[in-house]
Amino acid sequence: MAAGKNLSLFKDKPVKVLLAKPGIDGHDRGMFVLAKAFRDAGMDVLYAGLLPTPEEVVDTAINEDVDVIALSLLNGAHLVVFKKVADLMKKRGIDDIAIVGGGTIPDADKPKLEKLGITGNYGPGTPLKTIIEHIIMRAEEARSRKLGIA
Amino acid sequence: MTQTPEEIADGVLAGDIRSISRAITLVEDHNSLITGRKIIKSIYGMTGRAGIIGITGPPGVGKSTIIGNLASMLKGTGKKVAVIAIDASSPFTNGSFLGNRIRMQDKLYRDGIYMRSLSSRGSSGGLSRSTWDAVRVLDAAGYDRIIVETVGAGQADLDILGMAHTIAVALAPGLGDEIQAIKAGLMEIASIFIINKMDRDGAFMAMKDIEDSLALTPQNEWKIPVVGLNSINLDGYEELLAAIEKHLAYVRKSPLSAKKRFFNEVKAALMAESELRINALTESSMSGLTDLESDVRKKVDPYTVAEEISKSVLGDIA
Ligand SMILES: Nc1nc2c(ncn2[C@@H]2O[C@H](COP(=O)(O)OP(=O)(O)O)[C@@H](O)[C@H]2O)c(=O)[nH]1
Ligand SMILES: [Mg+2]
Repeated sequence: MAAGKNLSLFKDKPVKVLLAKPGIDGHDRGMFVLAKAFRDAGMDVLYAGLLPTPEEVVDTAINEDVDVIALSLLNGAHLVVFKKVADLMKKRGIDDIAIVGGGTIPDADKPKLEKLGITGNYGPGTPLKTIIEHIIMRAEEARSRKLGIA
Repeated sequence: MTQTPEEIADGVLAGDIRSISRAITLVEDHNSLITGRKIIKSIYGMTGRAGIIGITGPPGVGKSTIIGNLASMLKGTGKKVAVIAIDASSPFTNGSFLGNRIRMQDKLYRDGIYMRSLSSRGSSGGLSRSTWDAVRVLDAAGYDRIIVETVGAGQADLDILGMAHTIAVALAPGLGDEIQAIKAGLMEIASIFIINKMDRDGAFMAMKDIEDSLALTPQNEWKIPVVGLNSINLDGYEELLAAIEKHLAYVRKSPLSAKKRFFNEVKAALMAESELRINALTESSMSGLTDLESDVRKKVDPYTVAEEISKSVLGDIA
């Protein structure tokens, strides 16, 4: 099939995103602000609940066949937890679901996360528009992988 | 990972979760209709084994909570269980918050139950088609019980529920006058009534209200039970589980119901097929069905033309 035709397969299907705040961080308000912003931007939004394990995040992402997992943490444990999610995805051979990060992430850690395929990594105060555009970009990447045209 | 429709179908039949998930993505996306259909056609022969349970009722009565508990109990009896839940999407942005999962996911996580959220966008024909197809995928994948949560109103809901063997209508105290309208609409399709939130005031009144209405309604062989649930301490769940299993056994004994279900399946497929074909019509292909030029000249009204065209395929309306 031609690439152009393939891309049109999902053209009316909203970006599906799983919001997750795995690990030991219990603040949830920020998540609901994001969830609402994503929905208003026309996405299908899932929320993995309070303190899901990395395994639960990955299982949910697969069951729901999301385009993007959006991970967020505010307590500095991001490297360990984000890496766990990325490792699990890799172990299970999943390359057609993108991972983006967010939270209070020191600049020094960002290249490490990028190397794991976790992009964005926006801090507090980032305009929602920037985050949304980034998610849509990564979702399109993931979808073209789902369709085998990457 | 890219898979051909054939590979996805094989994966579904082998019970592979990623293939199941991808198959549902494809049947949910109306632009992937052709691929989705290919998959359904090749797995259809393996469907028909699952017991399909629809749970419907107004928002907030506790459907998702009930499904979490019920799925977990069914799993405890050795059944392979999957859940599909439909969330309402915003008609303005098309986006949706898939919140049903939140109410049940702790149980799902613990028990490793497959659950998929669908969003209620697009045409009602499209939604029931994709829900039916998602259920077929899970059925062919070997799930023994598939529980479907619907939004609880409208024709789309009734179309979806047409595929269920057993329909549980969930209500809760405090619905006010609304309950009369719901009762009227759902009395005929309910196999079981649930009054949830038995810990709340007015729960026993609500139960009695339903029981009284049922006593006045002519019923067939199956006597519709009214089950009270407390979803916090799980009172009533044994009774619900027993009622569901009893009804599934009752339905599956009857060859008449298999035919009726297939009638519903074909009707839904026909609805999807005609929508597809109508959307694909052009001026020139429509000219093969009616003489557009002459219709314009004679100022024939569009309904008459549409009736003539439909009649030639589907016959007169009885
Ligand atoms: N008091 C009480 N609350 C319940 C019960 N079951 C569910 N709920 C609550 O009712 C609300 C709606 O539940 P949900 O499952 O989302 O309802 P749905 O919209 O019908 O799916 C939630 O806050 C539940 O915690 C119950 O048996 N008793
Ligand atoms: Mg619900």
